[in-house]
Amino acid sequence: MDDVATKIIEILKKHMKEPRDDISLSTPLTDLKIESLDLAMIVFDIEDRFQIEIPYNANEDVEDFKTVGSVVDRVKALISQNSASADAAKA
Amino acid sequence: MKRADGLRRVVVTGFGMVTPIGLDSTETWASMKEGKCGVSRIENFNLDDLYIHIAGEIKGFDPAVHVKSKKIQYGERYSWFAGRAADEAWAMSGLPTPYSNPYRSCCIIGSGAGGYSTVETAYRDLFIHNKRATHPLTLLRIIGSSASAHVGIEYGIKGPTFATCSACSTATHAIGLAYDYIRNGLCDVGVAGASEAVLTYGSMRTWQAMRVLSPDGCFPFSKRRNGTVLAEGAGILVLEELEHAKRRGATILAELMGFGMSSDSKDMVNPDIDGPRSAMQFALDDAGLDPSEIDYLNAHGTATALNDVNETNAIKDVFGEHAYKMAISSTKSMHGHLLGAGGGVEAGVCIKAINEGWVPPTIGFTDPDPKCDLDYVPNTGRSLNVRYTMSNSFAFGGLNAVLVFGRAPA
Repeated sequence: MDDVATKIIEILKKHMKEPRDDISLSTPLTDLKIESLDLAMIVFDIEDRFQIEIPYNANEDVEDFKTVGSVVDRVKALISQNSASADAAKA
Repeated sequence: MKRADGLRRVVVTGFGMVTPIGLDSTETWASMKEGKCGVSRIENFNLDDLYIHIAGEIKGFDPAVHVKSKKIQYGERYSWFAGRAADEAWAMSGLPTPYSNPYRSCCIIGSGAGGYSTVETAYRDLFIHNKRATHPLTLLRIIGSSASAHVGIEYGIKGPTFATCSACSTATHAIGLAYDYIRNGLCDVGVAGASEAVLTYGSMRTWQAMRVLSPDGCFPFSKRRNGTVLAEGAGILVLEELEHAKRRGATILAELMGFGMSSDSKDMVNPDIDGPRSAMQFALDDAGLDPSEIDYLNAHGTATALNDVNETNAIKDVFGEHAYKMAISSTKSMHGHLLGAGGGVEAGVCIKAINEGWVPPTIGFTDPDPKCDLDYVPNTGRSLNVRYTMSNSFAFGGLNAVLVFGRAPA
């Protein structure tokens, strides 16, 4: 697992009432017993850690948040978007 | 004449509203008749990096024009709204100013957050602009009891005067307490409701971080609902003991017949069914009504994924088959979520529905959600013979308060 995935799993574990060590990219978030307010706090920590903004809405079933792997993919996409726009700003 | 339980009867002799769809109750009601939506792009402050861009703002509110009292003009935005709504309600009641029996009156005007914009301005001055001092009125503007104090001063009210604070149930709790004071004999007259003005950049950031706001609009009970929309304003009633109102020949608008309150005692954000169900049942029991007698229910209806299903299920539990027969609407679809003040405006709507024989719609209702299958008066209001109404307020923290109104006693 790469750096982004490791950091995201660290954040997830921080918010779990009973942290587990067997979390993989295919683990569904529903298996982690995360409630809506926990997810808001997790998204906040991820945004803060990676300096990105995720327009997540607790009222919607967001495909991007189905599994740990889908969260990692979404974060990576946002990070590359950010660096692309930073490069564009420099150019 | 007293109630069967020996308590005094309480009537409504005035109400006032300041909402995104009207600066008084007449204008607000006219907007509801047109199914007008008060949610629009935020104009009163700079959006900066917010990704939620809409709210139920009151645009062009000028205290020098829209608030009569000079003292309240110096107050906070939330006190301006309270001052204006109270002024409408008090004038409607025809009570003298100052009130002739001051220690027999109460003024309970709550706010979920008090002077939020003043906090923000003061902290920007201190921490960003490095100013040496805050404006001298900062503290008085911030405190959550300043609206009740201001309004109490205006009408010479010297009995119980304070604010309630229970998030989105604030106004309903305030009205319920004034009702209890009057029917138990502590007071004869009460001004009660709430005011809210939390549309600021900082406040929007805190709501945005909770991930419960819709970027598109407030669509209660509709399948496309995706969060609530914040709004601002005030809703205030004048309550009065029945014989007191009759003696002075007041126009009685409605009777406040029931009040129920409960707490889920479970979770800060996820609503439970027992709490809302109990509060509705307690209000019906207090009013001495059978569930089938309620013709119109103004739902809490916040347009969040969870609330609307939970409220629908709680209504079904209390009303059984009648749940499908009565008219239910969330006027938040038009005026947005006024938070603490919501219950005050919605109580006014319930009274107006009785008086006008017309129930307001839930607008923006484009596609039904199978989980919300009651009659939400979709998109257009309609004429209805309304005898009894119920107003629901269910707040964060699971704090529930419900009112039941009936026609003016013959």
